[in-house]
Amino acid sequence: MDFELEIRRIYLEDAFEKEKLLQLLQQEGLELDATIEYTMGIYKDNSLVATGSFYKNTLRCLAVDSEYQGLGLMNKVVSHLQAELSQRGEHHLFLYTKSTLGNLFKDLGFYEIACVENVVIFMENKPDGVARYKSEMAKKKVSADQVAAIVMNANPFTLGHQYLVEKTAQENEVVHLFVVSEEASIIPFETRYELIAKGVAHLPNVILHSAGAYMVSKSTFPSYFLNGEEAVVIAHAKLDLEIFLRHVVPTLGITRRYVGEEPYCKVTRTYIETMNLMLQANGVGCEIIPRLEVGSEAISASMVRAFIRDNRLEDIKTIVPKTTYDFFKSERGQALIEKMKHHIGRH
Amino acid sequence: MNMITTAMVGTLESSDIQVTIEPKNEKGIEIVLKSSVEKQFGTQIRKVIKETLEALNVENAVVMAVDKGALDCTIKARVQCAAYRAAGIKDHYNWEV
Repeated sequence: MDFELEIRRIYLEDAFEKEKLLQLLQQEGLELDATIEYTMGIYKDNSLVATGSFYKNTLRCLAVDSEYQGLGLMNKVVSHLQAELSQRGEHHLFLYTKSTLGNLFKDLGFYEIACVENVVIFMENKPDGVARYKSEMAKKKVSADQVAAIVMNANPFTLGHQYLVEKTAQENEVVHLFVVSEEASIIPFETRYELIAKGVAHLPNVILHSAGAYMVSKSTFPSYFLNGEEAVVIAHAKLDLEIFLRHVVPTLGITRRYVGEEPYCKVTRTYIETMNLMLQANGVGCEIIPRLEVGSEAISASMVRAFIRDNRLEDIKTIVPKTTYDFFKSERGQALIEKMKHHIGRH
Repeated sequence: MNMITTAMVGTLESSDIQVTIEPKNEKGIEIVLKSSVEKQFGTQIRKVIKETLEALNVENAVVMAVDKGALDCTIKARVQCAAYRAAGIKDHYNWEV
């Protein structure tokens, strides 16, 4: 039936085409992901029978009309997306899908990174991707009885972050601090990393890592195959923890994970609850540390960003380390502030 | 021929093979093959890939191939194309090696 098929890009600005896409996804029990940069469709007699999308280097919203399954249409979808990504210079690809579809994608050259049974499977197209990530990480391993881990975004690094790291460093022999490297925040990774490095320089037992491609923030976690916000948060937390437990804990000999308590955001609270349960179940400690307060308010990075946007740079002095404050006073910091003022968004 | 970048060619459709070639720091050709006919033709497919690269004087490469039952001539063509692209060569191809 190949000769009857037409493969073409779908532009979501086109309301008619988008409607057809939503219909197909819905029919196959999927939703349209909020973050998508490219979508394609396969048409037969002008009706949409298969589709796939990507955002950066992750494939998402992959679906084939049930009536046309088993004919190799998914192979065409994935080939097309890979060719498009290859032209854009992206060769290391990831995908998230229903865990039941793992075998289908294994046949298309994908390998499992982690799986939450009956919910989600996370895959990549390199056979040794995660193995290489682990061997890089292992170079920083230090043998000790008490080895803690912290994952932080630090957008930007505050006294609250510093307090959490200091406390962890006091209570443990070694602290592995992972900086989320994904660019989903207004402050770029390079700057966030630099400010953390400066802010923990006085703690000799803290080892910094770039979190790499295997620790994903929820803002880019695809949710097209899940229903309901709560389900998405829990699935993301479980997958994240599955990766942490399966790949990070044994590689570095982690015994405890530290996290700052979340006083405001319900989504983050649900995430931490799930994390706590999963860590305990696998014999890894979970320490939830109350936030450092100034006045009666917990210090948060969003507070710092709000002050900066309102031209109240002096007010951040009491809630960030001197190193962070000095950065924002510098020329590079001023340029970033300009960018932040024009940025609309929660992060 | 020196591999300097990553190149991907081919598709995952029936009778085709998708070939990705990456530079390798150490000498040698490393082949990672996934094939729907691995049991019947795995050895032969690897042999074709290796011989094609050797004929092009490729000495350092990681080859990731996802095969959907491609014929030898298809495999050879895909590997040649991937190697030329990974070497950054855009003209004066020598197809008859």
